[in-house]
Amino acid sequence: MEPIIHLKDVSMVFGCNGTRTTALAGISFDIRRGEYVVITGESGSGKSTLLTILGGLQVPTEGAVRIGGAELSALPADGLADFRRETIGFVFQSYHLLPYLTARENVMVPMSPARVPPREKEGRADDLLASVGLAGKEDRLPSQLSGGESQRVAIARALIHDPPVLLADEPTGNLDSATGEQILDLFSSLHARGKTVLMVTHNPSIIARATRSARLRDGRVVEDRLLRSPSAKPMAV
Amino acid sequence: MNIRKLAWKNLLRRRSRAVFTGLGIFLGIATFVAISSITSQMEGAVQDQLDRFGANIVVSPRTEQVSLGFGDIALGGTEVAHSRLTMADKERIASIHHKDRIRSIVPFLMTAADASGKNLVWLGLPGVDVASARPWWKIRGEATLTRGEVLLGAEAAALLDTGPGRNLTAGNRLYRVAGVLQPTGEKEDGMVIADIADVQALAKKPGAVTYFEVAALCKDCPVEDIVAQIGQALPGARVSAIRQVVESRKAAVDQLRRLGFGVSAIVLLIGGLMVLVTVMGGVQERTREIGVLRAVGFRKRSIFSLLFWETGWVSLLSSLLGAGTGIAVAYLTSPVFGIEHPSVAFFPAILGAIAGLSLGLLGAIPPARRAAALSPTEAIRSL
Repeated sequence: MEPIIHLKDVSMVFGCNGTRTTALAGISFDIRRGEYVVITGESGSGKSTLLTILGGLQVPTEGAVRIGGAELSALPADGLADFRRETIGFVFQSYHLLPYLTARENVMVPMSPARVPPREKEGRADDLLASVGLAGKEDRLPSQLSGGESQRVAIARALIHDPPVLLADEPTGNLDSATGEQILDLFSSLHARGKTVLMVTHNPSIIARATRSARLRDGRVVEDRLLRSPSAKPMAV
Repeated sequence: MNIRKLAWKNLLRRRSRAVFTGLGIFLGIATFVAISSITSQMEGAVQDQLDRFGANIVVSPRTEQVSLGFGDIALGGTEVAHSRLTMADKERIASIHHKDRIRSIVPFLMTAADASGKNLVWLGLPGVDVASARPWWKIRGEATLTRGEVLLGAEAAALLDTGPGRNLTAGNRLYRVAGVLQPTGEKEDGMVIADIADVQALAKKPGAVTYFEVAALCKDCPVEDIVAQIGQALPGARVSAIRQVVESRKAAVDQLRRLGFGVSAIVLLIGGLMVLVTVMGGVQERTREIGVLRAVGFRKRSIFSLLFWETGWVSLLSSLLGAGTGIAVAYLTSPVFGIEHPSVAFFPAILGAIAGLSLGLLGAIPPARRAAALSPTEAIRSL
């Protein structure tokens, strides 16, 4: 099967005033469509840098990144923006909802520039909010939502364009364990619906839900384990 | 949810910043509209006052210098008038095409005649026109002039050793001194001023006129046109505009206008800078938010558009509010500036609203460009 994500010799070096920091040192790996990959590693191992490169937010200093057939280094700025909107769904640790918008409006934000009738946008947002268990809370502001509910809104926002790939950066990092489990259940169900999930985390217990795990250290993949077939049903945890 | 609504919602969230951003435009436009409105009304008022101040056209007989001599003997020269002016010429002047621009036509007759044994120049004009033709005269005694009465210039009064209420004789007739002019520094200080009919009788020149003074209302009409039309009506007359008066009127009004525009330009510039600074500061504050928007797929153009709409809303509202306030201020303070009949000047208000909106959007361009140019990498560092 053609990999949906393909990395070849990807390096990322940050330099400032003669100081060079290598965040990623020649990473190569493929992720196939429908995989649920958990990337672990200590702080500074390069996890978040890898995620931002995969999300088209940063361009690596070396190497090639191809996602969904698109060579990211060949895309212009607007092309990268379109790529982020259509191919990638980002979920951040701190939700990053816009505090002055309701849950429904936050979900609709990525569609703001699109010329889609408002009712269609609202309908799609409401459906997504219902699918993440927030029916009836569409008009609440982020300040009126719990952490878990805010993260659900963020996930719904990431799904508004129905992207094939979901990138999550410590999505349960700010949640208590029970709420974190609910969010992980949500990711599992999205994976079961065919989404390719790539999650960066410190939490090794999440690995049990994934089909594959990789561990980074000093910008290199030091462990890459296939846990089960991507087509297999998610493991009950 | 679209960009416009997103911009509006953000403004509502950052009300105090929006108010501060709009304050510069509001003050600028209010000042601009108020000053423009007051200036334009003052132009009219000043012009009106200047027009009331006196005549600006003089009509006199055309004359020619004739040299007198016999053989090699030169006897000097004399001025010969081609024709004489009469009271009937007043009707001809009043019938020109721009007759509606003429406020007054005052005939004057000058003659030298005896007054209580002293040879003095008599100046005749219609008694009823004294106040309008010479509004700057300060008269001790009665300011009105009727048949059989005279006003004396300060020097003439001193020469005749007489004053208000006393009499003088001229041409076997008794005239009552109605009043004495305070010194003006002009020729009338040595004159006897009487009703023109009395002077015509004294000079034995019934209906004669030495010159006419014409006061034209020239707020928006060229004096030159009126001069030309009077010249056509009276071919034998020399018609000349008192250019100095006209030029000084124009200069006074132009100065007012320049002052108004200068002050407005400075206030508007400050308003524009306030927009630039506050929106630029807003971009700095919102790096994280811009990062989120870039991460969810906003193009540079969309970020630019968002910032532009935000400033557009603020500029529009503050411009309209500023224009309304400017009109109100101009209307309410008109009496302070000597405007007797204040009116609402809509043109400066419309111009001000458009200028405010344009200025706000212009001031938003650099920060919006900066926000749009913010690289996702830079933005996500704060995520």
